[in-house]
Amino acid sequence: MRKYIFKRVIAAIVTVWVLITVVFFLVRLMPGDPFTNPKLTPEVRENMESYYGFDKPLIVQYGNYMVNLLKGDFGYSMKFTNKTVAGIIGETFPFSADLGIRSLVLAVSIGLVLGIVSARNRGKGIDFFCVIVAVLGTSIPDFIMGAVLQYGFGIKWGLLPVARYEGIEYTILPACALAFYTLASVSRIMRASMLEVASQDYIKTARSKGLGEFRITAKHQIRNAIMPVMTVMGPTVASVLTGTFVIESIFAIPGMGKHYVDSVSNNDYSMVLGMTLFYGVFLIICNLVVDILYGVADPRVRIGER
Amino acid sequence: MESISRPSLSFWQDAWRRLKKNKAAMFGLTLIILYGLLSILAPMFSQYTQSQMDASARSQMMSSAHWLGTDSTGRDLWVRIWMGGRVSLSIGLIAAVVNMCVGAVIGGLCGFYGGKLDMIVMRIVDILYGIPSLIITILVVMVLGKGIAPLIIAMCVVGWIGTCRFVRGEVYRIKEQDFVLAAKVLGIPDFKIIVKHIIPNILGMLITNLCMAIPGAIFQEAFLSYVGLGVTPPNCSWGVICKEGIAYLRNSPHQVLIPAFFVCTTMLALNLLGNGLRDAVDPKLRGTE
Amino acid sequence: MKKRLIASILTVAMAASLLAGCGVPKSESSSGESGDSGASGEKVFRFSTRTEPTTLDPSKGNCIPDTELQNALTERLVRNVKGEVKEGIAEKWEVSDDGLVYTFHLRDAKWSDGEPITAENFVYSWRRLMDPATAAPFAYIGEYIKNGRAVETGEMKPEELAVKAIDDKTLEVTLEHPTAYFLSMMGLSSLFAPLRQDIVEEYGKDFAADAEKNVYSGPYVLTSSANQKWIFEPNENYWDRDSIKLDRAEMSYVQNQSTALAMYEDGELDFSEIPSADAPNYEGQDESYRNGNVDYFYYNCDSENEAMKNIDFRLALNYAIDRNSYNELVNNGMFAPSSSLVFSGLSGVEKTYGEESTLEGYPMDGDEAKAKEHLEKALGALGKKASDITVTITTTDSESAKKQAEVCQEMWKTTLGINVEVNQVTYAETLNRQASGEYEIAWGGWGADYDDPYTYLELFKSDSPYNYSKYKNDEVDKLLTATQTETDVQKRMDMLHEVEQILIDEAAFFPQAEREVHYLVDDDVQGLNFFHCSINLDWVYADIVE
Repeated sequence: MRKYIFKRVIAAIVTVWVLITVVFFLVRLMPGDPFTNPKLTPEVRENMESYYGFDKPLIVQYGNYMVNLLKGDFGYSMKFTNKTVAGIIGETFPFSADLGIRSLVLAVSIGLVLGIVSARNRGKGIDFFCVIVAVLGTSIPDFIMGAVLQYGFGIKWGLLPVARYEGIEYTILPACALAFYTLASVSRIMRASMLEVASQDYIKTARSKGLGEFRITAKHQIRNAIMPVMTVMGPTVASVLTGTFVIESIFAIPGMGKHYVDSVSNNDYSMVLGMTLFYGVFLIICNLVVDILYGVADPRVRIGER
Repeated sequence: MESISRPSLSFWQDAWRRLKKNKAAMFGLTLIILYGLLSILAPMFSQYTQSQMDASARSQMMSSAHWLGTDSTGRDLWVRIWMGGRVSLSIGLIAAVVNMCVGAVIGGLCGFYGGKLDMIVMRIVDILYGIPSLIITILVVMVLGKGIAPLIIAMCVVGWIGTCRFVRGEVYRIKEQDFVLAAKVLGIPDFKIIVKHIIPNILGMLITNLCMAIPGAIFQEAFLSYVGLGVTPPNCSWGVICKEGIAYLRNSPHQVLIPAFFVCTTMLALNLLGNGLRDAVDPKLRGTE
Repeated sequence: MKKRLIASILTVAMAASLLAGCGVPKSESSSGESGDSGASGEKVFRFSTRTEPTTLDPSKGNCIPDTELQNALTERLVRNVKGEVKEGIAEKWEVSDDGLVYTFHLRDAKWSDGEPITAENFVYSWRRLMDPATAAPFAYIGEYIKNGRAVETGEMKPEELAVKAIDDKTLEVTLEHPTAYFLSMMGLSSLFAPLRQDIVEEYGKDFAADAEKNVYSGPYVLTSSANQKWIFEPNENYWDRDSIKLDRAEMSYVQNQSTALAMYEDGELDFSEIPSADAPNYEGQDESYRNGNVDYFYYNCDSENEAMKNIDFRLALNYAIDRNSYNELVNNGMFAPSSSLVFSGLSGVEKTYGEESTLEGYPMDGDEAKAKEHLEKALGALGKKASDITVTITTTDSESAKKQAEVCQEMWKTTLGINVEVNQVTYAETLNRQASGEYEIAWGGWGADYDDPYTYLELFKSDSPYNYSKYKNDEVDKLLTATQTETDVQKRMDMLHEVEQILIDEAAFFPQAEREVHYLVDDDVQGLNFFHCSINLDWVYADIVE
């Protein structure tokens, strides 16, 4: 196990390096440059290009960037010119992470319960209800869900604050809006997985041993069925915690989701790289944790070993 | 020797036989076929076109003149919904299915063979996932231009990854189970094990996954149409109609609720059908009623 | 056993992170519940911005939110309030007879930290603005000052910029051309604000990175810029402290317009713009101003599309737009239809530019007969059928830009029978294509940088960096060059009117609308000023009256 984790960490470092390198060159291929202002004159543009070192060969720029990165310097944003990339991430990430954690707790707990309940009551009314929840959750996109929740609870009934993120009551609507999709997918996958596990031999064995239905479900079925849910949770955790553009925009939350989209459309190279690095590391850690948990949850599985 | 009383049915015949008995699934199937037919036929029999504007009939509610009302530029929503249905239903299905196939094959191979192959593919997956999707989209437009094929490619560059990771995990689990081990011991070739034992066992989960992937594809198409991929004005899709309508949520909510309703009911239908299919192809339920 | 251990550690770690996450309410800003003015008697004005300011450095501002923010934090030599030039740090000033040399006499004003504001502060600031090493995105505005352009391109040292501190309280500036709108422009732009060399050098690259890393010369100081919320409090050292009535102003970044409106209705904002979709709900309650932005389409004079080069074809396109319907369809009737380029509300000689204009534009309702007449002529010259002609509109990825293109597409298709394609690309790429000339018809929009028609008409001067349509007309060039040195105000304005008429007769662009902002404001808020260039919302003199 230790050797496996060690191997994975080495691989992760290489992966991050490749990721950064690929993105470094890809963003330069995009049309336009960071100076997206129709009022820029050629002289000013030239000054700005030399200010950011764009007049040097790309490979030199890449070298400089990597050297600075190793020193822990992410550089300055090219759009928000006097802020550092690290500073922006440091300021916005806590909001995104806080929102993300809340919505994940909501989504996973309710999602699992719904999935289990609907699998245990297959074909009954409650199962159909869960189907409806899942359908609504997966097929209503976040921009509609967020706007509807905001309009209903915030404006029409005036129960909750409509926007910003300045106290516990402010977090409820955006967390619900964000949770819905994950909730729906967790419940669907859990249901399917529960049903699959239900017909496995060890469940039959347990049943024949005379164990009660509740104990079978609790002890054997859930533990085995939860693994596919974990697989989808890896990337989900990474992307939910690092912010979502639409929900943060609708609820005016000062999170980092906005930067993830805006930095690309503004061609803010240093910001794109900073965000990619941050998200990439997060993603790789989440996936690593999932792979390890796989081994922990199912004793028969040894990932990475043939 | 006694003859076996049950007629010998192929896997798919058996599945179809059981699917037919599932009322909910048949309802789903009917609804999808109905939407498909309406998408093809409804625009042909309307006096309006999808681009015809009317400054004096903006944001109108449903009426006998406009069955589903009009949008903010006075375009008839009935026609736009079905014109959009053509795009959304086909693109949503194609993209989701392509994603699923690519993801299932790669994920299946990784899961089954594991080792170095798995390690490398999974790292590539990490990298692809880490690249901001907007960059990929913009670059695909730049390199491949416009049209349906670039659209599908843009959706699939990273779209297959979810399925891939998922299938890989499932295969890891299943390949350690007794029936696979037994097959291996008997010397059955890998290919046959995959087709005969592993795929049927994950098919149910795959179908569930597919049903959830379609709305994602429908709305991703809407997003892509804004950066020049996907449909271009005056053409539309359900995702595009939703996006156009969302600003009017307060004033004339039907502009966003109607397209959302059609996306939802399509998903409901697909989910019911998917559940039915899942049960129908479940090897453990085979032959049972 | 080992696995059990790992599993439990992971579980504990996850649970701990949950608790940590849920235990931290995020109200770090000093005013968690920014209560209404009533409760504490504090006068607080709360508003939002749709675009996040890009910088807090007065010299590096490059968009309206930057300018609006700096308007409250910096004091220039003069202050432009709603188009009227008022004293700022300069008490009085003289202009030489040739209109080139300005001498400013400074009052005893202080920085927020109590240091005196001297002429040297201006010299430093303006040199820094023009220094290529600063890379200020809007440095071109300093080209009005003699040697400005040479400093900007590095041909001269910043010290050679024609701005001199005669003594602590006297500043002399020499201009390149006699510029009629120099004072008006300076009064609007923080790029001309003074800067403290010691502060700028102390923080280096981190100068103005947040509220604490700067000192302020203006009516307000910034006390916080954290979490996309900017908090302003009066500058006790401001020379005109008595005119400042608010105790605090709070600006939040709310990108989504419906959200801002919802916050206004919820009582969390005192001022909000109304998105066009919601306009009908507020009829009668809203107020409005025009922000000087004009919407139009460019056409590319270098494009390979033969039809676009035909003047009759372009006229046909222009006559085929029913601008009144266009306004209803695209903007829910909120904007003002327009068939010209220069914003009509700019200052003219006596009245506004629009009122003095004798321009013959295209009829607002369009003219189908005339459009078809011009089309016939064009088709004759081109030897083509209408259905053989295809034009492509390149536009940005915003919802409004899409609607704009869709409506024109529909009008051109139905009236003229030609084919029109719409090509949406990202904003950056739209600008990129305009600059490189890869388009036939493209989205365009312009706002005034200063209160003079030249700021719009320059778009069609052949040597202008902003000439995105690669338009070239000798008469236009000649007239525009002449306006730069003409000192007779009326004559100069006549030339500008003439240029605009030529552009319209030649169908050099496809005008659509002037933007009008509709907004809601709390009854107890008074003294907001609105202007059509650089600073749209000027809340510096706002007051909360019970």
